[in-house]
Amino acid sequence: MSTIYLMLPIALLLGGGFVAAFIRAASQGQYDDLETPAHRMLLEDEKMSISTTQRGQK
Amino acid sequence: MVYSLLQERGLGDYYLLREKGRMLRKNGPAPAPSLSSDMQSHLDDPEFLELYATAEGQVRSMQFYLEGVHCTACVWLAEKTAEWVEGVISIRLDLGHSLATVKIGPNGSFSRVAREFARLGYRPHPVRQDEAWVRQARENRSALIRMAVSAAGAGNIMLLAVAVYAGAEGSFARHFEWISFALCLPVATYGAWPFYRSAWIALRSRQLSIDIPIALGMIVGFGASIVSLFFRSKHVYFDTVSALIFLLLASRYLLRKTQQEAMHASRLIHFLTPSLVRKKIQEGESVVYQEVKAEQIRSGDEVLVLAGECIPVDGIVRDGNSSLNIALMTGESRHERVGAGSLVFAGTMNHQAPIKIEATAEVSATRLARILSSVEEQISRKAPIVAFTDSIAKKFVLVSLGLVGVAFLIGWSVSPDEAVSRALAMAIVACPCAFAFATPLAMSVAMGRSAKNGVLIKGADVLEKLAHVDQVVLDKTGTLTAGEFEVQSWIHDSDAPEAARAVYALESRSMHPIAKAMVVYLRAIVTDEQSVEIGDFEEKIGRGVSGSLFGHRYEIRSWGESSGSSIEGSTIAVIRDGKIVARAVLGDRLRDDAVQAVDRLRAMGLRIGILSGDGRSAVQRVARQLGVLPRDAISGASPEAKSALVKPLPRALMVGDGANDAIALASAYVSVAVHGGLEISMRSADVYHCVPGILPVAQLIELARETMKVIHRNFAFSLVYNAIGTWAALTGRVDPLFAAVLMPASALTVFFSSIAGTRRLRHAFETEERR
Repeated sequence: MSTIYLMLPIALLLGGGFVAAFIRAASQGQYDDLETPAHRMLLEDEKMSISTTQRGQK
Repeated sequence: MVYSLLQERGLGDYYLLREKGRMLRKNGPAPAPSLSSDMQSHLDDPEFLELYATAEGQVRSMQFYLEGVHCTACVWLAEKTAEWVEGVISIRLDLGHSLATVKIGPNGSFSRVAREFARLGYRPHPVRQDEAWVRQARENRSALIRMAVSAAGAGNIMLLAVAVYAGAEGSFARHFEWISFALCLPVATYGAWPFYRSAWIALRSRQLSIDIPIALGMIVGFGASIVSLFFRSKHVYFDTVSALIFLLLASRYLLRKTQQEAMHASRLIHFLTPSLVRKKIQEGESVVYQEVKAEQIRSGDEVLVLAGECIPVDGIVRDGNSSLNIALMTGESRHERVGAGSLVFAGTMNHQAPIKIEATAEVSATRLARILSSVEEQISRKAPIVAFTDSIAKKFVLVSLGLVGVAFLIGWSVSPDEAVSRALAMAIVACPCAFAFATPLAMSVAMGRSAKNGVLIKGADVLEKLAHVDQVVLDKTGTLTAGEFEVQSWIHDSDAPEAARAVYALESRSMHPIAKAMVVYLRAIVTDEQSVEIGDFEEKIGRGVSGSLFGHRYEIRSWGESSGSSIEGSTIAVIRDGKIVARAVLGDRLRDDAVQAVDRLRAMGLRIGILSGDGRSAVQRVARQLGVLPRDAISGASPEAKSALVKPLPRALMVGDGANDAIALASAYVSVAVHGGLEISMRSADVYHCVPGILPVAQLIELARETMKVIHRNFAFSLVYNAIGTWAALTGRVDPLFAAVLMPASALTVFFSSIAGTRRLRHAFETEERR
């Protein structure tokens, strides 16, 4: 049973670490908009080459 | 236009993506961009930037509310705009709020971005960075963090408590209790802080709030547990207190979020920029037209009004010939010809060509402004049912505080421990949280749901009024009908088979509404669209067009008694070398969904009436088509007469054009604007439709009625829960931990009840799509 005195602090430390990580993410505004990222991930990341060349011609 | 723009930019993918987006989110079509949305140069005005933009070194950012963004393709398109507009660093779109955050570098300009948005069909409205907005975002983040800390604390305490409940004794139990205390400390202080603060504010101002019994329960629970901890007593409530705090924070967070989503649409009216006009400014030799706020126009100033724009001030035409839609003034769907010297009035629509106007009054002194100023203050009204439940909830708080005392006394007769336990259970269980949230939540959900479907509702009281409506008064022109000319019949002499082609060729060159209707109709007859040589083409404003082709002289002009200015029953004659060879009769086209919508409204038990400024025959024809009784169809009513007719009707819903029927809409019990600009509609009517058609009116009434049902159901849930909980706590049948779980459960029941709505509520905006 004495292992609990080792396990408990480790578990609490781990938990505390995740809480800290969450607080950091929330204060950076990662949870401000929960809708758009779901759509944004469907989009291509690459820049459009056509539009840039067209702009150059103008 | 949008299509060609997309192709030119190499963004053909948009259409592919849009199909995907449709499948993700069923939604109405984006509203057509308005012609006046090209006016964006005021966005670069330093005075304007001061109010609307924020600067970080060289980077400036501004937020725009984009009308009509609704899918993945919109996200892509709006954000890709950054890649082809010069000087733009980034654009991020928040789809849930239709807000685009635009960041530009030193050589960028917001007006260029705004123009590009407008060309894509998303009408941009700059959003002012107000205090409340920033504070709300900050509070949302801190609420989320409080919730996370409380969740972690409550979860870990629960694990330790389970061990104690399961029979851990001696030093284990002692250590677990101390660890629980350590974990509970941040929860009961930092996590529960909002409850203490709100209870304290209420107490100091001698008000009752539902946070008072909650804060009391938390303090009593936490305090009693600390005392027990030091005096080695049995009763430790750290698990109860932390679970209660977390669950309450979670339910409050859900409520907040839901309400904010709904509020957003109605907040929009406060964001809208002042309307702008082009004022003539003499700069030495050259004359420029600069965009200024409409309020800055003084008597004697000259303004330029382009085709498709609303006349901003009363005045006299100085230059230019055009035709105006003067429905606002007369209530009739007439087009009036104006030229130099004509008097024009604010609110009428310029249809054909640019005109220059000398203002004779300030904007605030126009007839339109006087009408609208009387309805401005109605925006922040409280729904009667909300005020009613507020007062009930306050009485509930008083009763529940009394009950806590009673429970304590009953418990005292058993033992002091029991007294604390029962009082705590009672404080938790008797709180009328669910009752207090039942109404505002259901209303917010309904408003949010309609906003997502392109129907903006101005306030919660509007929903309640809509649910009580027993008759609907519909305007004809622009509401039941599309307000556009449509060719109803076309006859040509047998010896002039080429007349259709000649008319088609001639009318293709004209921008007049009648010409457009003729072209649309004749396109089906004229199969070969080869270009035809036209000699000495001439268009006379208000008289028609003429030209030489196929070896003849053709003239197309209005004919007959109605002289061509009214939409209804206009006859057009085609004259070849001085002889009439063909005739066309034009009328106003009924909207595609008008018959269906009226049938549905009637099926809901509503009496239907038509109110129009048009002539009797035209109104009766529409009434017949819709199955409206002839006595319920009133014709020839001026805007003031319409208003006078609508005003005394106790529970009438007026549906009309936001611009043309502004007066009648403002004086009706409740009103819906189905057409007209967003700004003017939001000022005169209670509800504005961004989507075309009048079917949403029927859907809206259904939504309002079902929402009232949900509210009543929520009341039933919360009252039953409180009654059972109070009885159980008084008799000592629930312990505090159980109460702490049950209590937020009641709030969550109300939450899910509101979110789920009723089956008909869920399908209020969907059923028609499937048919």
